[in-house]
Amino acid sequence: MDVVLSQLMTGLSLASILLLVALGLAIIYGATGVINLAHGEFVMLGAYSAWALQTFLGLGLIESLVAIFAIVAAFGWVIERIVIRHLYHRPLDTILATWGIGIIAQQAIRLTVGGELRYVEMPKALSSSVSVLGVETSAFRIFILFVAAALFILTWYLMFRTSLGIKLRAVMQNREVASCFGINSDRVYSMTFAYGAGLAGLAGALVSPLKSVSPEMGTTYVVDAFMVVVLGGVESLIGTVASSVIIGEMTGFLAFFSNDTIAKAVVLLAVVVLIRFRPQGLFATKLRS
Amino acid sequence: MSGGENGHLVLDNVAIDFNGFRAVDGLNLNVARGELRCLIGPNGAGKTTALDMICGKAKPTSGVISFEGAVLNNMEEHAIARCGIGRKFQVPSVFRELTVQENLDVAYCRHTSILGNLVRFGSGADLDSLEKLAELVGLEDYLEMPAGYLSHGQTQWLEFALLLAQDPELILMDEPTAGMTAQETKKTADLFLRLKGRHTLIVVEHDMGFVKEIGEKISVMHQGKLLAEGSVEEIERDREVRAAYLGSGGISGA
Amino acid sequence: MTNRTLRQVVVYAAVCLAILLVPTFVDDPFILNKYSRYLALGILAIALSLSWGYTGILNLGQATSFGLGSYCMAMMLKLRTVPVHTGSEGLPDFMVWNNVETLPWFWFPFHSLTAGLFLGIAIPVVFSMLLGWFIFRGRVTGVYVAIITLAVLVVVNLLIIDQQRYTGGFNGITDLAQLEIFGLTFDAYGSSSYYLIAGALTVCLFLALAITKSKVGLILQAIRDHEARVRYFGYDVAYFKIFALSVSAGIAGVGGMLYTIVMEFASPTFLGVSLSLGVVIWVAVGGRQSLLGAALGAIVVTGMQGALSESETFLDTWSLIMGFAFVLVVLFMPKGLAGAVEALYARVFGKGEKAKSIARKAEGGLAKPASEPGGAE
Repeated sequence: MDVVLSQLMTGLSLASILLLVALGLAIIYGATGVINLAHGEFVMLGAYSAWALQTFLGLGLIESLVAIFAIVAAFGWVIERIVIRHLYHRPLDTILATWGIGIIAQQAIRLTVGGELRYVEMPKALSSSVSVLGVETSAFRIFILFVAAALFILTWYLMFRTSLGIKLRAVMQNREVASCFGINSDRVYSMTFAYGAGLAGLAGALVSPLKSVSPEMGTTYVVDAFMVVVLGGVESLIGTVASSVIIGEMTGFLAFFSNDTIAKAVVLLAVVVLIRFRPQGLFATKLRS
Repeated sequence: MSGGENGHLVLDNVAIDFNGFRAVDGLNLNVARGELRCLIGPNGAGKTTALDMICGKAKPTSGVISFEGAVLNNMEEHAIARCGIGRKFQVPSVFRELTVQENLDVAYCRHTSILGNLVRFGSGADLDSLEKLAELVGLEDYLEMPAGYLSHGQTQWLEFALLLAQDPELILMDEPTAGMTAQETKKTADLFLRLKGRHTLIVVEHDMGFVKEIGEKISVMHQGKLLAEGSVEEIERDREVRAAYLGSGGISGA
Repeated sequence: MTNRTLRQVVVYAAVCLAILLVPTFVDDPFILNKYSRYLALGILAIALSLSWGYTGILNLGQATSFGLGSYCMAMMLKLRTVPVHTGSEGLPDFMVWNNVETLPWFWFPFHSLTAGLFLGIAIPVVFSMLLGWFIFRGRVTGVYVAIITLAVLVVVNLLIIDQQRYTGGFNGITDLAQLEIFGLTFDAYGSSSYYLIAGALTVCLFLALAITKSKVGLILQAIRDHEARVRYFGYDVAYFKIFALSVSAGIAGVGGMLYTIVMEFASPTFLGVSLSLGVVIWVAVGGRQSLLGAALGAIVVTGMQGALSESETFLDTWSLIMGFAFVLVVLFMPKGLAGAVEALYARVFGKGEKAKSIARKAEGGLAKPASEPGGAE
């Protein structure tokens, strides 16, 4: 029983981190159709922002979260205005362009800050161990879980209970018609992109005390986040949560039984099969044709 | 009903269901070889969907579509095309990055296998005959132009040329005169009248003047079913057709 | 043969000749070896140009075929090394270290030279045919194809790393014998290897060119332009795409085999995400719709990386520049540098409307969103 619970907790922990990263990606993809391969770099920039704020301004992680969101969101907004908005009708090219931006971001960091590993201190208040249902878990991981849940609820609220959210959903359904109704789609897109980037930045900041910070850290996250988005479909936020949990648990589960490498390979193959037979993901509602 | 044992093009109680919405509902159509059949009706009647099912773009949920005895229902689009069925779509669908000449080369599809085409260079056709086609549609000076740079009208003509290059036995036309001037419409009518006999044509149209000029037999669709069928005069007189579509004015000029 | 084709053939032949003449001016074996590596990567680029530039299949996993080819060559050469490296009973050393008792079944065919060479092409081709069947018979298109090919690459990579008892894992297969055919020995640092690779590059280039100039090549381009419309002419699009993917795989496999000869080992990085995504950048910048442009893109970019490898800062700056170049090319020059050159040539030397048309075609930018004909979007 202990083992199962411990497994569940690990999976849940993986899932919450995955959710944070995937949520931003899903929103961007769902709203604008852009496959943002630079998303991993948004995560990385969030982590570096945390490190920079800590090293140069002495700010702790929790205090910097809002600033980090703003910094990475601003970066995302700039990217959207300069590059992405030219490519909305060319989906294959957005993959390439965003990935090129990712390379630029990585190299820029390498050239300015250097490629060595950096470390972000875990907030003292959360560095202890907590017992949940008899299983020892780090308090910080619980904190991440709560932040992920809170952000998800916030996102849901923004999408479904605010006028901005209605505008966004209108634009998602039909951009031209939404424009006819006076909705400034350009602004909606850039704000959505910025929001998604900001979320990824937060994910990076939250993950930074757990792993070291390096220019390449974002790449693994983008691949995993992708799998979540593909699995969950982009029609529903709930789908994103569900698939984060599924993939998080599955990876943990498989890693427990065989090994990390095979676990990853199996998950990837499962996603490949899914794309082939149900490209709209597991949770999408039925579309008309 | 003309046609041999199996009929030429036969739609037998064909229906299609889109998540509960029956776009076509028990359609019966029998087109003889060499005929020029016009398919008219109000928007949403299912005319384009009927063409979609014949060429394979959509699959009927019930009923049988057969062409010269071959059942088309579950065949893939390219297999249906090889049976001798070609289609001109409502929205211009040419290869925009390829030149006009290259478009024609692709459309000349006597051989559709990979091995057969590996050893062919250029079009494999008479360069002359494709140039004549270009001349027919007024594009002989634009052979090297990427098709994406043609005007809307020129693109329509290119589509006609592609269809002629393909030379299918059954030609499906979806609103061929949309956006055309009176002069161009006349030219299209002449073209169709030349084609019929050697080819079978099914033309979906809204331009009643055009229909009157070319039509021998007309099928009227309404709400996914066949409402009436007959010659131009018969259709004009039909009360139901007037109520559903033509209005009290009948089929007047364009 | 049209004028344009003739011009292309002449330019291609001139470049290949120039490449073949390099050893007469360059003596240094280390430099020749480096150049050989770039040429092998050039072959990989030709493969991607065929599948992506001409057919529109964004194969993010092109390195899979490259890597499979390289491992085949490595396995064959490993079984020919001096007993010192193959341990007891003809087992490769890493197997002995991993306590493997007998040679695994899939190593057996590589005892034979002909079989090894054949499999180096056949295995990537068959693999791609199966993958192509899976993807294209299922009408998967666009972005999803890219995702699947990348995922498959990662899976193959992971499997090879995981099965280190049989494949050498992270370290790959090292300490190889030299390839010997017809009494010729191909030393990685000799001009013989250089000529072999340059010759293979020439052959692959002209073979691919011939395919693109045939009607098949035209149909592939039509598929790239408007896949759905092609079906209504009677062409089985899935088969054509599988064909393109498989031929690319064969060419990439050849490149991989030659790469092993020149690197003197095979490693999972040859099947890695970096390489596979890297070749996409080289081909995009060089010109995806030009076989020569793609090859030169690869050769020049990897050449620069090689030249700058002394200093880490230079290398990072170069990568930064490449990142910018890539984004710029994607945004504004979809046909890469080759397209720009051709457009320039047409504007400068061509006369009248025909030249303008050629220039426009060379610049590209007519790509429209993929949609079904009939406009039901």
